[in-house]
Amino acid sequence: MDQLVTLLKRAMPFQMVPDDTLKAIAGLAKYESHAQGDVIYHIGDYADDIYIVSSGSVQHTLGIGTQATHLDKTMRSGDVFGWAAVLENQRSRLAKTVCLERTELIRINGEDLINLFKASPALGDVVMSRFATMINKEFTLPEAVAAQVPHFTQAQATMATMATGLTLTMFRVSQWLKSPKPYLMLIGFSILLGIWYFTVEVWKLPRFEDMPGLTVVVKELFSKDPTYGLSLYTPEYYQHVWVSLRRIGIAFFLATILGVPLGLFLGWSKTFREYVFPVFETLRPIPILAWVPLAILMFSGSETPVIYLTFLASFFATALNTMLGVETIDESYSRAASCLGASKWQTFREVIVPGAMPFIFTGLQISIGVAWFSLVAGEMVSGQFGLGYVINTSYTMVRYPTIVIGMVTLGAVGYTTSAMVRMAGDYMMQWRVRELALGGR
Amino acid sequence: MTTDISHGLSATSASVSSKVNAGEITVSNVSKSYGAGLFTKEVIKDCSFTIECNKLTVMIGPSGCGKSTLIRLLAGFEKPTTGDIKLGGKPITGPGRDRLVVFQESALFPWMTTYENIMYGPRARGEDTQENRDQADYLLEKVGLTAFRKKYPPQLSGGMQRRAELARAMINNPEVMILDEPFRGLDCMSKELMWEYYAGLYEESRRTNFFVTTDIDEAIFLADRLLIMSNVPGQVRATIEVDLPRPRRLAFVFDSERANAVKMEALSLLHEEAMKSFTGGSKAAADFVEAYSRRSSKAEAG
Ligand SMILES: Nc1ncnc2c1ncn2[C@@H]1O[C@H](COP(=O)(O)OP(=O)(O)OP(=O)(O)O)[C@@H](O)[C@H]1O
Ligand SMILES: [Mg+2]
Repeated sequence: MDQLVTLLKRAMPFQMVPDDTLKAIAGLAKYESHAQGDVIYHIGDYADDIYIVSSGSVQHTLGIGTQATHLDKTMRSGDVFGWAAVLENQRSRLAKTVCLERTELIRINGEDLINLFKASPALGDVVMSRFATMINKEFTLPEAVAAQVPHFTQAQATMATMATGLTLTMFRVSQWLKSPKPYLMLIGFSILLGIWYFTVEVWKLPRFEDMPGLTVVVKELFSKDPTYGLSLYTPEYYQHVWVSLRRIGIAFFLATILGVPLGLFLGWSKTFREYVFPVFETLRPIPILAWVPLAILMFSGSETPVIYLTFLASFFATALNTMLGVETIDESYSRAASCLGASKWQTFREVIVPGAMPFIFTGLQISIGVAWFSLVAGEMVSGQFGLGYVINTSYTMVRYPTIVIGMVTLGAVGYTTSAMVRMAGDYMMQWRVRELALGGR
Repeated sequence: MTTDISHGLSATSASVSSKVNAGEITVSNVSKSYGAGLFTKEVIKDCSFTIECNKLTVMIGPSGCGKSTLIRLLAGFEKPTTGDIKLGGKPITGPGRDRLVVFQESALFPWMTTYENIMYGPRARGEDTQENRDQADYLLEKVGLTAFRKKYPPQLSGGMQRRAELARAMINNPEVMILDEPFRGLDCMSKELMWEYYAGLYEESRRTNFFVTTDIDEAIFLADRLLIMSNVPGQVRATIEVDLPRPRRLAFVFDSERANAVKMEALSLLHEEAMKSFTGGSKAAADFVEAYSRRSSKAEAG
């Protein structure tokens, strides 16, 4: 057993593997002995096991079709061959192997080996990437072949190599379902709904009796023929959602394409900042509602003032956070870039922009939140259609359950949009996703 | 112009001798102070030395003596208050491609993979050639990071990051390479590994290297010439030629008598400097004095 472990330790793919795992691998190993001239396998044979030479030597001849630079290789003690058995989409041998003398080998079933690493995927990835290096460098095969080694995607540590925004989100969801969080969340919601139900409909507390009750709202929301004209089954409902979403979309888009560059330049150029920042800082604290009259005066119709108000709030949040992001970038990055020969403009593009990216996306998260806030404010004051408009008119027309339908919808749609922004961020900053995944978050 | 346009690290002795003085840095009477008026702090005072061509010059000095300040002056990010610094006879006016500086703070770009980081210099200069890509592969192999080429810096261990940083600097094949405590914060084992990597890279290229450190073993293992700094305000107190044969191997160097003699000489100079600031009440100096007495008693015993 110990001998086996020592042998495995000398094999290139297993050099980083701790002893207890080596023992587990040794447990899978079978020992066999061959005479000179024995053929261990031919090209095209079914690839089930990998081999490690214990003593003796083996001639390894790759097929012409493999595009290896050197087809012949002599395997000696500690060398690994037969790795086709661990490749994905590769079930047949790529080489012919003949014993050059009396040879002792150990063989390990490829599938068993891969299954073994499913328990410790991080380690598995290290071993597999060493397999890949070996295939590419020692067997001189093209990288495309080496890239067929499996990755252990499902696991946390391998997020590091494979995570994209989507897989990360799916991973998060599955982790979330396993944690106690969803159940605590359910309890939280039940308490909220319970308080609503009891105060309004059961105990009928003073001042609460005019409020729409839980059952009334739920019935209204799912009614095919709603009393007050708005439910999940009426086309008007979707029209309002669509109108609000469109306004948010336009305003958020404009705020992003104008706010991000503005923030980048504010953070980057001291001179530019001295011109612009004082103006910016005077306008920024003005509450959005204070802009309403001017917005109505400035823009005609009911659509543009609302979009303008929404845009304004978003724009300030985005620009400010982007600027802060640029300021927090460690100066050593720009210094390193300029030492490596980057021009000022290159430093801006390749250091400032990606370096500020995490802050930009924090800014966009805040921005989408304030966008909804000012959208509703704007829709309540001016505008036709939209969820803010629904809430406001339902109040004046005494359609109380509809108010709550509007509010709940705002909550759901607002949450979805910020989740989308977060996903876009994860997708664009994969280096950061990996960093976080590594940090175990 | 330099004759060496080949990007391989295999500069031959012929090309070395043909570019005498091209990479020599002379620092003459440089002073640097920060702040003004009553608050002026003189960090470097009347400092003169030469970084000779195609040699590995190591500067060692107590913490806070102005080594990093000197590096910033050499890099061209700051200007000396008085005195001047010349590279190959021409004064240094700003950051330039002829010097490559690796600063004390690690600065691999976290948003680029190891490979992209290493290729950053060539790409920034519009030299994304096959030759440079091969060179990147070669360096990755050399510093043992081939399997990590597609990983991002936060996924690498501290030592791997240092190695990647070295590779990122080496690929540019600069006339002069300046490194500020590149192996700070590594454990002994990885430090010693790094010394061998770095010495190997240097021995292949024989470019002008300037290496700043606070570690005496590191200094002696690497140096062709050893500059010993005084306490703040910084000055070069002594120069020791370390004429140990190359290529150097750890076991070999630290068993040699010559290395120990150099070490004792350097330590006694550093000790004096440390004592000065110790009487001035510095905690770091106190630690150093203590460490020194431990070491020298060990050296006498062994
Ligand atoms: N920009 C600055 N303004 C004022 N003082 C400074 C400035 N930069 C450095 N100093 C001072 O100069 C002295 C030397 O600093 P420096 O960073 O050069 O030391 P060092 O030799 O590199 O030390 P270490 O080995 O710890 O890195 C310190 O006392 C520091 O306070
Ligand atoms: Mg320093």
